[in-house]
Formats: sequence, structure tokens, C-alpha cells
Amino acid sequence: MGPSGSGKSSLLRAAIGLQKPIEGTIELQLDPTEVGILFQDDALLPWRSARDNVALGLGFRGMGRAEALEVADGWLGRLGLSGFGDRYPRHLSGGQRKRVALAQVLALKPRLLLMDEPFASLDAIVRMTVVTDLVGLVQQERISVLLVTHDLEEAIALSDSVYLLSQGPRARITQHYSVPIPRPRDPVRARTHPAFAPLLAKLWSDLSNEVTRIAPAEAA
Amino acid sequence: MSAAWRPLRQLVALVILLLLWQAAGWAGWLNPLYMPTPSQIWGALVELFAEGRIWPHLEATFTAALVGLALGIIVGVLLGVLAALIPLIAELLEPVMLLLNAVPRVILAPLFVIWLGIGVASKVALAFILVSVVIFFTVFTGIRQVDRKFVERITTLGGNRWALLRHVYLPSVAAWVLGNLKVAVGFAFTGAVVGEFVAASRGLGYLLSFAQSTYNAALMMALILMIMAVVLVIFAAANRLEKRLLRWN
Repeated sequence: MGPSGSGKSSLLRAAIGLQKPIEGTIELQLDPTEVGILFQDDALLPWRSARDNVALGLGFRGMGRAEALEVADGWLGRLGLSGFGDRYPRHLSGGQRKRVALAQVLALKPRLLLMDEPFASLDAIVRMTVVTDLVGLVQQERISVLLVTHDLEEAIALSDSVYLLSQGPRARITQHYSVPIPRPRDPVRARTHPAFAPLLAKLWSDLSNEVTRIAPAEAA
Repeated sequence: MSAAWRPLRQLVALVILLLLWQAAGWAGWLNPLYMPTPSQIWGALVELFAEGRIWPHLEATFTAALVGLALGIIVGVLLGVLAALIPLIAELLEPVMLLLNAVPRVILAPLFVIWLGIGVASKVALAFILVSVVIFFTVFTGIRQVDRKFVERITTLGGNRWALLRHVYLPSVAAWVLGNLKVAVGFAFTGAVVGEFVAASRGLGYLLSFAQSTYNAALMMALILMIMAVVLVIFAAANRLEKRLLRWN
């Protein structure tokens, strides 16, 4: 997490090679094909059905079309979208599109999933259900996730570690928090864990310090 | 005012208008030299078909328009793609296209007649130049405005340049071209008819200019009606094609 402009998105984009770091290097212990990324915008191809969208990446890896479609249907099913495979993105709700985008990335069996505010466009209720399903799948498949978010509660409920970036430019990591809520974890119930509220308060005060520390300089 | 009856109300209004027009003609209020009655126009239309002499003209106009349309789309797409991908080509082509886009391109009609004769070639050329410039800009600006997020999505899913072309650029181009198909059809027929009007021995445009030189207002209106009908039929076909191919939209 971090204030706007601290370079959270740039960090993720650099990690997957969409952006070259101006200085320094990115070290990846995985093959790039083992990294999946999910943006705020689902970016499904509007001219391909849900099933075809999910099968895209599998096709790029050389899987035959029939097999890829079968795998795609399986993933759509796991994300609660059985029977929606023939729909075009335009005819799906925001939450359904997000699930298709998730299926598209998860079908490639990533070991690391990078997510840049993936749920920001969803309303609170849809967001809750999508996040819960995602956490379930990620725990089952044992995928590591690097999540960028503005949402403090989401950061704690979903993560094992939270890193706070300072205000940019020249942002760096200023704080690191371990989240003591055990796994497997239900992201909704995690909010009632006794460790949740104190950590939220700490994160909130550190983040607002980070923002106000810079504000006078901006005014000057 | 129920919306369901709207077509009926429009039809009734049209019939009343035609009846008034016809009645004015019978009453002798209209000079038939300038303003023939609906029945005279209908008579001219029936005559054109009854003698069968309309077919070669229809064929000539259709051939010129459709060949010009096809060539215009092919060349427009090719040049648009090349210009979008290769900066040097864009540099050389864009000013020419901007100029051609800014002027009424039908002013080239007499030139094409001198170059290509009064046969079908000069009409095809005019339809072609009208269509290709529109399609060029559609494709050229379209490709440069392809949403980066699709490109990034395909790249991060492991797609190469060929995948980008196949899954992002080609579908986008197809969608833009189809979206402008009706404009292009209109231009193709404009090109064919204007070309025939300038100099030809066959075609609806030629018949129009013949009707003008013989002061035959009934024939002229019959021809105008027919050209409208022809273009409407083609519009309907283009609409169906668009709906079918862009059903994801």
C-alpha cells in the first residue's frame, strides 16, 4: 500500500516487464510464464466469448483449441460461471467479467499473481463475494499474491505481510507489518479477528502520517 | 399515440400526400413538364422494367459501385495498416489523404473520364477514390487508438506479435470497417452515379442525364426513386452483415 503516486503500479508493471526500471534490477525467482497479472480493468477482448477469452493464454502456450476450451470451461465453473461461457463480455456484469478475467489468469497456473487494485471497480457486495472466491482458489492452488490496494481493510484481511510505500517521488518501503491472522482464512471473517482492529488503526495512522508529512512541502 | 401504430400513421400520411399531389395534377395545377403526378412517375418506372431496358443500366451501376467498393476497402485497409505500422509511409501518405479528404472528390470525375474513357473503368475509379479515403482514415486512426489495455493483456498472457495482430488489431480493424460500411456503400454509389452522369453510355447516372437533356421529369423522378430503393436494399444488407459480425457489441 501507499499514497497515490508512490509507484505501486509501476512496481507491479516493472515486475512483469511491462515497464523497464530506470535504475536497479528486478530479480524474479520464477520463470516469467509463472507470473500472472490482473489489473483494475478486466481488459477482456470484447469480440471473444467468455470461454474464448479464458482459453486465449492456453492457446498461446500451444494447447490445442478443443483442450483449451475444455480447461477454460473448468475454470469458469470453479469461478461460479458454468453456463456463461458463450456470453460476450458486454453481456456480463462487472463481477462476472472480473471472474472471467480471474479464470483467464488462473488457467495458466501461475505461481505468483500480481494484482493492481483488481476490485476497485466493483461494488461492496460483489467485491466481497469475488474476493472470497479468489482467496479460496489462491489458497487451494497455493499461489503467492502481490496485491496493490488503496483499501486498508482489504490489505489486512487478505495479506500475510503488508508493506507501506512512502510518498513519491523517490518512494521507498517505510514500514512492514506481519498480519497474525491464521490461514486458511475467510476474508470476511478475518475482519472480526482480535488482531484486525489494532493493526488497522496502526496502518491508518502510519499512512496518514505519510501523506501529511508531504502535504506542507507541496503547499510551499 | 401508441408507438405500435407509428408505421401505420406514417404510411397513412404518405398516402394522403400522394393523393393530394395526384389530385393537384388532375386539377391542372401542376405543369407536367416540371412536376409529373405520382401515377406518371409510376408509369415511367413500370415502363423501364416492362421493356427490360433498365437491366443493362442497373448492371452497369451496380458493377461500378460494388467493384469500386471492394477495391476501395481492400486498398484503404492495406494503406491504413501500413501507415499505422510504418511511420515513413504515414509521413508520405497522410498529407495526400488529408487533401483528398478535404476536397469533394467527385471533382476528379472528368479527369478519370479523360484517363480511363467513358466505360466502366472511370466509374470504378471514382467510387474507389471516394471509398478508399474514408476507409484509410478509419483504419489509420483506429489502429493508433487501439486500447493499450488489450495489447498489455495479450502480452501478459504470453501472446506474441502475431497474436496481437490476430486477436487485437484485426478484430478492431474489422469492427471499424464494418461500422463505416454504410458510409462506404453510399460513397460507392455516389461515385458510380456521378461518374455516369459526367460521361457514359450506360448506367442509372447516364439515364438521369438523358432524362435531363430530354426534359423528362417523370423518368428522372422514377430513376431517383429507384436509386433510393437500391441504396436502401444495400443498406439493409450491410446492416444485417454488421449485426451478424458485430454480435458481441
